[in-house]
Amino acid sequence: MFVARSIAADHKDLIHDVSYDFHGRRMATCSSDQSVKVWDKSENGEWHCTASWKTHSGSVWRVTWAHPEFGQVLASCSFDRTAAVWEEIVGESNDKQRGLSHWIKRTTLVDSRTSVTDVKFAPKHMGLMLTTCSADGVVRIYEAPDVMNLSQWSLQHEISCKLSCSCISWNPSSSRAHPPMFAVGSDDSNVMYGGKVQIYEYNENTRKYAKAETLMTVTDAVHDIAFAPNLGRSFHVLAIATKDVRIFKLVPMRKESSSTGSTKFEVQIVAQFDNHNSQVWRVSWNITSTLLASSGDDGCVRLWKGASSPLATLTAGHSCTGSCYLFTMLVVSSTVQTDTQQVLCGFCCRSIRDKFSKELKHSLQLDLW
Amino acid sequence: MEKMSRVSTALSSSAVSGRTMFCHLDAPANAISVCRDATQVVVAGRNIFKIYALEEEQFVEKLNLRVGRKPSLNFSCADVMWHQMEENLLATAATNGAVVTWNLGKPSRNKQDQLFTEHKRTVNKVCFHPTEVYMLLSGSQDGFMKCFDLRKKESVSTFSGQSESVRDVQFSMKDYFTFAASFENGNVQLWDIRRPDRYERMFTAHTGPVFCCDWHPDDRGWLATGGRDKMVKVWDMTTNRAKEIYCVQTIASVARVKWRPEKKFHLATCSMMVDHNIYVWDIRRPFIPFATFEEHKDVTTGIVWRHQHDPHFLLSGSKDSTLYQHMFKDATCPVDKANPEGLCFGLFGDLAFAAKESLISSDASRKPYPGGDRRYPIFFFKKPDPTEQFAHVSSVLSVFETDLDSNRMDWFVKTAQLYLLSGKPFAELCDHNAKVAQELKRPQVSTTWTMLRIMFSDPANLTTPVANHSLSKLGTLPLMNSFNLKEIGAGIGTESRLERSKGEIRQDNMHLEAGNSTISNNNEENEETEGSEGQAEYMFGDAELDDDDLYSMEHDNQTVEEQEYTLPQESFSLISISQPLFSPHLPASFFCPIVREMLSYYAEQGDVQMAVSVLIVLGDRIRKEIDDLTQEHWYMSYIDLLQRFELWNVSNEVIKLSTCSAITCLNQTSTTLHINCSNCKRPMSNKGWICDRCHQCASVCAVCHHVVKGLFVWCQGCSHGGHLEHIMNWLKSSAHCPAGCGHLCEYT
Repeated sequence: MFVARSIAADHKDLIHDVSYDFHGRRMATCSSDQSVKVWDKSENGEWHCTASWKTHSGSVWRVTWAHPEFGQVLASCSFDRTAAVWEEIVGESNDKQRGLSHWIKRTTLVDSRTSVTDVKFAPKHMGLMLTTCSADGVVRIYEAPDVMNLSQWSLQHEISCKLSCSCISWNPSSSRAHPPMFAVGSDDSNVMYGGKVQIYEYNENTRKYAKAETLMTVTDAVHDIAFAPNLGRSFHVLAIATKDVRIFKLVPMRKESSSTGSTKFEVQIVAQFDNHNSQVWRVSWNITSTLLASSGDDGCVRLWKGASSPLATLTAGHSCTGSCYLFTMLVVSSTVQTDTQQVLCGFCCRSIRDKFSKELKHSLQLDLW
Repeated sequence: MEKMSRVSTALSSSAVSGRTMFCHLDAPANAISVCRDATQVVVAGRNIFKIYALEEEQFVEKLNLRVGRKPSLNFSCADVMWHQMEENLLATAATNGAVVTWNLGKPSRNKQDQLFTEHKRTVNKVCFHPTEVYMLLSGSQDGFMKCFDLRKKESVSTFSGQSESVRDVQFSMKDYFTFAASFENGNVQLWDIRRPDRYERMFTAHTGPVFCCDWHPDDRGWLATGGRDKMVKVWDMTTNRAKEIYCVQTIASVARVKWRPEKKFHLATCSMMVDHNIYVWDIRRPFIPFATFEEHKDVTTGIVWRHQHDPHFLLSGSKDSTLYQHMFKDATCPVDKANPEGLCFGLFGDLAFAAKESLISSDASRKPYPGGDRRYPIFFFKKPDPTEQFAHVSSVLSVFETDLDSNRMDWFVKTAQLYLLSGKPFAELCDHNAKVAQELKRPQVSTTWTMLRIMFSDPANLTTPVANHSLSKLGTLPLMNSFNLKEIGAGIGTESRLERSKGEIRQDNMHLEAGNSTISNNNEENEETEGSEGQAEYMFGDAELDDDDLYSMEHDNQTVEEQEYTLPQESFSLISISQPLFSPHLPASFFCPIVREMLSYYAEQGDVQMAVSVLIVLGDRIRKEIDDLTQEHWYMSYIDLLQRFELWNVSNEVIKLSTCSAITCLNQTSTTLHINCSNCKRPMSNKGWICDRCHQCASVCAVCHHVVKGLFVWCQGCSHGGHLEHIMNWLKSSAHCPAGCGHLCEYT
């Protein structure tokens, strides 16, 4: 069961992004009203807005948290063509109205000449790095050489993706066997331009990011993209929000020891769901990557549960091909009303399960063959 | 005739003619203006002064007004305006301070009509009166505004703003005598044309220069102003004091602002620097442009709606030397690309979801999917009036909290806290962990621990009561497996799971049969090691098996092996009853491939906790089987997870117990603390408790006055401190420093 807790966000325009911090106790929202709000969870589970400030002079598209090792740091990106890095200062403010904590701007990244559509911190093991992508199709990777000095960022890489970018996702794998890798999605709606998801990988020899893969089957506008948390898996799982929800598996091909080129991937589509019957806007993985949430123009959040097919594990025999994902829809949350607590929908309700078991069997068989 | 039809098409918005088109100019444009019937446009700039005809498909150059071998500075225009009543009359503002009027009806090549050289500096703006034919107003950098009667040689009146330079002057649409002027110091003044001595009203509209102003065309007394502070403000001038009723925040300084015809709440803006786009805003939604035109490659300098009753065409001139006709249909709408929803999975399985209100409410009112046809086209949801829909939006933010344990990750935290990874004999660790998993209702994991115990531990230990307990569990192994699978798979793949477990057993079986004969040759070494382990445990009766123990025992392998084969029979028979497959003389290494499979399986499933825990508990038994990179990856992932849940102690324990060098070094960094002596305040150089310089004990507990050897806690304010326990006790009774320094100590 899910319990909906409605929060009076009090943003004056659309909220474009919500983001939990590393420990799941803080939340940041950003809106077209040019502000970012930070919410803290109290002991009794209520969310309180502890900071709200004007961040940009345009719609704020995304907000994201840095790893807490670097402090309480947020990054935001906006229609005003900038991305900004914010740090929370506790108890130093002279301004009484702002309360105990306030956020100060550490830097503004002004390299983009068009709207900055997404901003993401790179995985922690890479250091303090920030990636932005913009509507003119450029991905920029910044690095703070001194993690104590958040106001100094140097532009390390500038990668042109040719297509208007809408979202970016880092491969979270911390394995040394996986070079740094990120995926970029494009919201260009022209089907003729081909694959809308590109995957770039860092090449140790050239010290540059090079395109490793383009998912040619995704030709519609992509609005969100998310690598699943990689908890010791040898392959990568990528969820894509386009006109439907798609889940891809990227299996790195075993590299010859001395090969210098980029990794080749065996790309498999694992699942494709059109249950939203409309544009899908967001996808998000849970921490163990067993659940995927998606939301679409139908106003529903849907949860997809991954279950690995055990036979695949056994017959394959190598850990690298590993388990194969089967997804089934579990929850359809529909109405959100103003009641603070409302039970939405059963989790394992039989009707849903029955409906999908047939589908599932089918796909399972396919998998086995 | 042509003219007539154009006007009529422009007026009836249903039939729009024309297209988005552009032409190259010879030089950058500074300003543009259209004639009343929207058939011609004049482009003026420092080096250009031309008239183009607006045709269906293209711009056609009609006339070059810049004539003469050496054009005078009078041709260098900062602004241009086409008279809205007299179609042959134009006025330009020259950069040298001249105000020039042009009569297109003149037969000569030079169309210059009148020349007023009264301003001392650049004239920024000229404006014809909307209804009075011969009245022209100018505003200049020198801070004066002048009103000209075109029938006279000189200005009729001069208005001194007594502020700074005038950036814009605009006659009111509503009031015959009123005009507005905007200034570089942020002021806007209202003047009565009959009273040049004093302004009627003045207010500060912006911080920094006000570059432009525009009266609402539907005489409502609304004045829009735009400034360098990146804002467009709409003022209601009908009240006694100008009231700001709307404020639009743009991304760059606002150079021009023009109300959109026929659309009450729309206005177009362009910027002076950086931003080359033209935005059309709905002032009711001041944060995001309703539409943008992104064609220009350089700063847009002039914008004008093609016809005063046609909202569909916008003309613009730019520093990039192009003249564009934009069609509204071709505009990009940033809102379409804007994400109306935000979604994020929290650490504890809760979901934060923000969505546009209309999406959710429409969903609430909508009936469930009608049977069968579930495919609506996307446009099904669109409401009829897009602008109305555009103006009123808001989002709903909610957090979905799960009360399902499996999603809330409680199991993970509990497991992490309760698992024992070291400090006890292997079998006990396994049993303990199995019990933990069992209590957390994770039978598959529990069974795995039990199996591990059986596989790897010396059967001699099975005589303990704990062993019996676990054996009884083992007896129901296949059944349990199927149960837990049902749970994990949430009703899916149950059959397949069962099959899997069967398969595993089958595989085991196979291995066993094949293995029985070959095992002694294959894994002699391992067998010996295993034997020695058993022996080690047997002999010392305690604790984990260190490498040292193993090596020290290596020499009497032979005897150990003998011993293993003469095990007490009863314990052995117990196993064979429940699980006849596992005969006791199988070496542990035989199971390694299976265990490796199993660990990979757990890892790929997202349960890296299990993989790492087993890895640590099994230690050397399995480590060689899994390549270092994978191990490191597992460790890293698990540590990251533990830190997410703020399980620092567990994470540190895992780091300590890990065998990967890359992991163990994680808690070896930044472990040095530099301290100063509390007496002489100088840095402590050597080890120990005595300061080199003052020869006193440096870190003395403020409570018991003894040297602190161990955990030392101190207040960062007064630097006094002492034993953790003592300070804690002290703080229960008093908030002041125990050293008596009067400081209100703060400990975090």
